[in-house]
Amino acid sequence: MAEAAHPRPVIVSNRARPGVDRPFADYGLGAAHDEMFLPDGTPRPHAAALYQALTTLPGDELARRQQACEQSFLHQGITFTVYGNEEATEKIIPTDLLPRIIPGAEWDKLEQGLRQRISALNLFLKDVYNDGKILNDGIVPRDLVFGSKHYLRQMRGVQVPLDAYVNVCGTDIIRREDGSMVVLEDNLRVPSGVSYMLANREVVRRAFGDLYRACGVRPIESYGQDLLATLKELAVGFRDDPRIVLLTPGIFNSAYYEHAFLARQMGIDLVEGRDLLVHDNVVYMRTTSGVKRVDVIYRRVDDDFIDPLAFRHDSALGVAGLMNAYRAGNVVIANTIGTGVADDKAVYSYVPDIIRYYLDEEPLLGSVETFRCREPNALSHVLANLDTLVVKAVGESGGYGMLVGPHATAAQRTAFAEKVKADPDNYIAQPTIQLSTAPCFVGSGVEARHVDLRPYLLTGRQTRLVPGALTRVALKRGSLVVNSSQGGGSKDTWVVG
Amino acid sequence: MLSRVADALYWMARYLERAEHSARVLAVKLEAMLDQTPDDAAEAWIRVTGALAWPMSEDVKGSPIDIAQQLTLDKAHASSIMTSVRLARDNARQVRELISTEMWGQINRQYLRLNASDTSLIWAAQPVPFLRRVADDLLLFAGITDSTMRHGEGWHFIQLGRYIERAQLIARLLDLHFGALPPDVPQHVRAPRYFEWITLLKQATAFEAYCKVYTADIGPSQIAEFLIFDPEFPHSIRFAVDRIQEELGFLGPGAAAGRRVQAERLAGRLKASLDYGQVDELMAGDIDGFLRSVQASCKQIHQSVFDAFIGYSVDELLPS
Repeated sequence: MAEAAHPRPVIVSNRARPGVDRPFADYGLGAAHDEMFLPDGTPRPHAAALYQALTTLPGDELARRQQACEQSFLHQGITFTVYGNEEATEKIIPTDLLPRIIPGAEWDKLEQGLRQRISALNLFLKDVYNDGKILNDGIVPRDLVFGSKHYLRQMRGVQVPLDAYVNVCGTDIIRREDGSMVVLEDNLRVPSGVSYMLANREVVRRAFGDLYRACGVRPIESYGQDLLATLKELAVGFRDDPRIVLLTPGIFNSAYYEHAFLARQMGIDLVEGRDLLVHDNVVYMRTTSGVKRVDVIYRRVDDDFIDPLAFRHDSALGVAGLMNAYRAGNVVIANTIGTGVADDKAVYSYVPDIIRYYLDEEPLLGSVETFRCREPNALSHVLANLDTLVVKAVGESGGYGMLVGPHATAAQRTAFAEKVKADPDNYIAQPTIQLSTAPCFVGSGVEARHVDLRPYLLTGRQTRLVPGALTRVALKRGSLVVNSSQGGGSKDTWVVG
Repeated sequence: MLSRVADALYWMARYLERAEHSARVLAVKLEAMLDQTPDDAAEAWIRVTGALAWPMSEDVKGSPIDIAQQLTLDKAHASSIMTSVRLARDNARQVRELISTEMWGQINRQYLRLNASDTSLIWAAQPVPFLRRVADDLLLFAGITDSTMRHGEGWHFIQLGRYIERAQLIARLLDLHFGALPPDVPQHVRAPRYFEWITLLKQATAFEAYCKVYTADIGPSQIAEFLIFDPEFPHSIRFAVDRIQEELGFLGPGAAAGRRVQAERLAGRLKASLDYGQVDELMAGDIDGFLRSVQASCKQIHQSVFDAFIGYSVDELLPS
């Protein structure tokens, strides 16, 4: 559509240099690996087509397409709600128009690493909630696991369908300065953002139709079917046509759009806690035709809130008695409860050992070296080097409870040091990594912004992964924080060739 | 279908019907004012506020254009078009996975347009085209609903909501023109004159359809007959009640047989009074009483549908 309205662009220059020529005049190449340019400023081969498109588009055309994309998000209601003094306003999650491009061969390697990692983490979860062999063998410290706030003893000895504890996993991957991709965080609880992966694809394909076709982008549209197939596989020993529902906290949740989107994609009911009830350890939902049995719950409600009888008593979002129905084997909950013990930031540092222990393989994907403040040597190292490290609370996520040393003031560092000293078990530290940068449209031109990558793995009887991911963007120049709760945006991710 | 979802679809439809009705009543009235003396025009606005801002305890004051603006744009006003569209959209958002993308796009765009920063300027420049546009957008939504959503149970809940709301709105509008004003309208006004009868027909989109049946011979008795008893005109009470009665049969497929009995009995009784009623009897007797009983019956049908399909007690349904 956009192409048809404009004459074919005339090639003005294919030698636009980053930091010098339009539209890249303000494009900074620094210590970080850049997804589009080689250090000498020439475009990488897999990004050449995008580079070509950017240098040949008429001046205001990018702005026009960006605006069309934002309009589309607003009209579709792809928004999150900000609650202010007077009334709630709905905002779109900032989406950058320019696709982030990953060569197919590199993706295939990444996929192998992700599959290996999720297999090991599922085995780890089964082990810590049953025999605890890895703890007895002294590979992972017992108190680290049992002391984690995400370890839930209600899960001990519970039979989990197919031993698949984590059915939907959204691993955060970053690219280091040397170009290698490593895991920054495993999100094993209720990872969100997959709807943005799919929605970004819709608008970006519309904005760059020709480029999309020319690049041979691998399709990701089967995600909904894959998720449904995964959930169906989990209903082992249930009815042939199990009733599958998606449990949402409701329209006030910031990810509500995603919940409704996924339910629609799968053709399943979107339920709230108040729609469900448990009777004799069986879960039912209230329908206009009476109560109907529910077999599988894809839940987007956190562990703490899912059952007021088992966990937080003040939760109005959950279903009283759900945990007992689950323990009785009368319902499947995906992801299962208590998976957060394996994405704890301190456990993270043991994942390479976990992979070796269960699979007898070397990890295919690297991770970031991590100082565990619970160890005295590490603690003194961390306290002495706060200005170069990133320090994180082990049980937190979403960019909360962390200190980015190089970007903090001396006073902030001193204050944080006190917190770490008071409760060293609760903290880990990692070197500050310059996440790779990718081209982003910023209104006046194209500039480099730091990005990460979140692919979504689905595990039932088999593990499925669509060739695509959510690329999160730190929209502020120089910022390394990509979390949407901290002002991050996202962009489409193209796996090509 | 989930009870909560059915409830949201039902209320979405009711709020949309209400907004459409308000937009049309206001647009027609504002246009009609141009041909009236200022006194006549001001007096006739009591019927507009009585029809749209009920309960009347809600404060709507000022010149006709002020009243129209409050009933259109005032976010704090429970009966304004703005509020109805917002509540309709909130309900649509609840059931976002069930309605079509086209339906959501339409209601969402309309909501965003009404909430745009320049809305009050556009209103002030040309209120009547503004209201016509609102009404057209809502009609478009109804058309999109009919042609993009599966005509399953959810669609039937939408139809039920739409016609329960419509039957009450038309009955209320007629109540303000025939006989004594309803007890909750405090002011006194003279009986409608020729010009106001035409306005009434237009407010019910009925002027042209009426003329085809009765020619341009405008008289209160024929108007009452047409808007109460005509079986084929979509804004007549009888037409709406026929739909209500039909829709009840499609709710809660497979539900225990006894659950819909109460609602069906109420709707059947109401339908009989319209099928066999005569306008001469009404005009000679208690037409306001009749119109109020229509509204009361609609409320009872609403309540019995809620009790049967939405807010029922689960205890007797669970296996022991």
